[in-house]
Amino acid sequence: MASLLINALRKIHISTPQIRSSFLSSSAVCSNTLTITKKDWKYPPQYTKPREVWIENVDTVEEKKLGLFELHPLVYAATPRIDIIQRNVIWQRKFRWVSWAHTKTRAEVRGGGKKPWPQKGQGRARHGSIRSPLFRGGGVAHGPRSGKTHFYMLPFHLRIHGLTSTLSAKLAQDDLHVVKDLELPSDEPEYLIDLIESRNWGPSVLIVDDTDYAPRNLTVASDSLPHVNIMPVYGLNVYSMLKHDTLILTQSAAEKIEERILHYLHSDTKKQQAQFKLDQV
Amino acid sequence: MGSRQITEKSLAMLRSLPRISIGNLRDNPGHKKNSKRGRGQHGGDKHGAGNKGSGQRMNYMRLGYETGNNPFYLRMPQEHYYRGHHFRRQYPPLSLQQVQLLIDKNRLDISKPVDIASIVKSGLYNFFPDQKHFGVNLTDEGVDNFAAKINIEVQWASEQVIAAIERNGGVITTAYYDPHSLFLLKDPKQFFENGQSIPRRMIPPPDAIEYYTSAKNRGYLADPEEISQDRLRLAQKYGYELPKLENDPSYEMLCERKDPRQIFYGLDPGWVINLKDQCILKPKDEELVRFFAS
Repeated sequence: MASLLINALRKIHISTPQIRSSFLSSSAVCSNTLTITKKDWKYPPQYTKPREVWIENVDTVEEKKLGLFELHPLVYAATPRIDIIQRNVIWQRKFRWVSWAHTKTRAEVRGGGKKPWPQKGQGRARHGSIRSPLFRGGGVAHGPRSGKTHFYMLPFHLRIHGLTSTLSAKLAQDDLHVVKDLELPSDEPEYLIDLIESRNWGPSVLIVDDTDYAPRNLTVASDSLPHVNIMPVYGLNVYSMLKHDTLILTQSAAEKIEERILHYLHSDTKKQQAQFKLDQV
Repeated sequence: MGSRQITEKSLAMLRSLPRISIGNLRDNPGHKKNSKRGRGQHGGDKHGAGNKGSGQRMNYMRLGYETGNNPFYLRMPQEHYYRGHHFRRQYPPLSLQQVQLLIDKNRLDISKPVDIASIVKSGLYNFFPDQKHFGVNLTDEGVDNFAAKINIEVQWASEQVIAAIERNGGVITTAYYDPHSLFLLKDPKQFFENGQSIPRRMIPPPDAIEYYTSAKNRGYLADPEEISQDRLRLAQKYGYELPKLENDPSYEMLCERKDPRQIFYGLDPGWVINLKDQCILKPKDEELVRFFAS
């Protein structure tokens, strides 16, 4: 572990981040089919450079780079806080967990109404019921009672930071890829397996699109592959991102995620930060 | 992003570390506090309860009890400052300093008339109509640094505040809103979404009528003639020259007032705001028109 860390430290080469000059505006430069998109964000990055990623294709097994794409550093290059990712994972496990473990108390175990022997004169310890927790076959004291919820809400900005941390970590570890669209040429699962194999993705892959429906070829091909899953952009969460090795975003999904997170990072979130109430929806 | 580039360094480090997954996560060391108290010879001492007595047995004396002395709360004569406080109208304060801050930080648009809805929307002022809060009390803190020309409508203001705003060529009105209207002003979107028509604003209760009809307080029910006279009087009292409203380029905006029955600027009572289709539905039935016009 120590040598791993030393290796990691050695490999760090940090280029000084330059402040993005203001003349860059939204423009797509096309030079022999390679599109380079410079974006004009509503909240432009102030102190850090935008991250650049390749836009890849999925219509052939061999990788073709279709263009360059900019990602906002506040979303895709945030501080990767492992502890916040962990707290998000714990929260996602817990908030929907209802524990159904159940034990009977001394009142619920059958029998035990009669005093087993008189209080005095027998030379035996005093007892009032054969179902007391001290007895074999008696009730359980302080045992689990069913229907216990573990629901709680993680503070709003920890949830936001969990998403940005995970996205940033995925991007930094080359586990996040942006594709132009999800149109596959065939609905064979073999095609998808070959694609994932040749791109060095996965094996488990989470595909996120902007729309509620995915192209038919993709849904049919991934239907028999339990490790390839498709998700709309509003379903994106920390647990699923970590559960899968690789995260594939379509270009529009990447933009949508960026737009939503930047919106919440730059707006008044008093309402979202308020204490959770059951009927607030 | 500090000068030490911690984000850049940690992201660069992640490149050569194993993939982050559910299996290799952990929280910061020391995040978890043990909820169990120690037992045994050295683990279990006094557990913060001290040695013997009420600390351990939790049989504390009642609040204010002085072990037999005539206690303080009985020794002093009663003074009824707060008698009936739960019936009184409350006006949570907002200082001129804060208003100036809102304007400087571009959280308040002063090219339009400012009312309690826009103050709440700035995100730095909050009030609760269900707790007898009846709106903004504009206080005179930061009165010397106030330099904005605004048309502001508040619910309570002192003479210094009125003078500070009028010295800069601004206009101030004090206006009464009943609690129901205040709920609408606090969260207009929530009200528009439930599809009801905008109600009329109620007239002030008897004990507030005097305040809101007085030109001294720039009440919204006062005579405009008297108000303009009082503006002059106040300028003479505080020794500043009253800027002429008529020559102002934003004269139109400065003269904008709400109708005494109106809750939102630009929206009349009786209208229904349809957010989904982005349109306004106005009543056509004559009886309704007559009702909302009164």
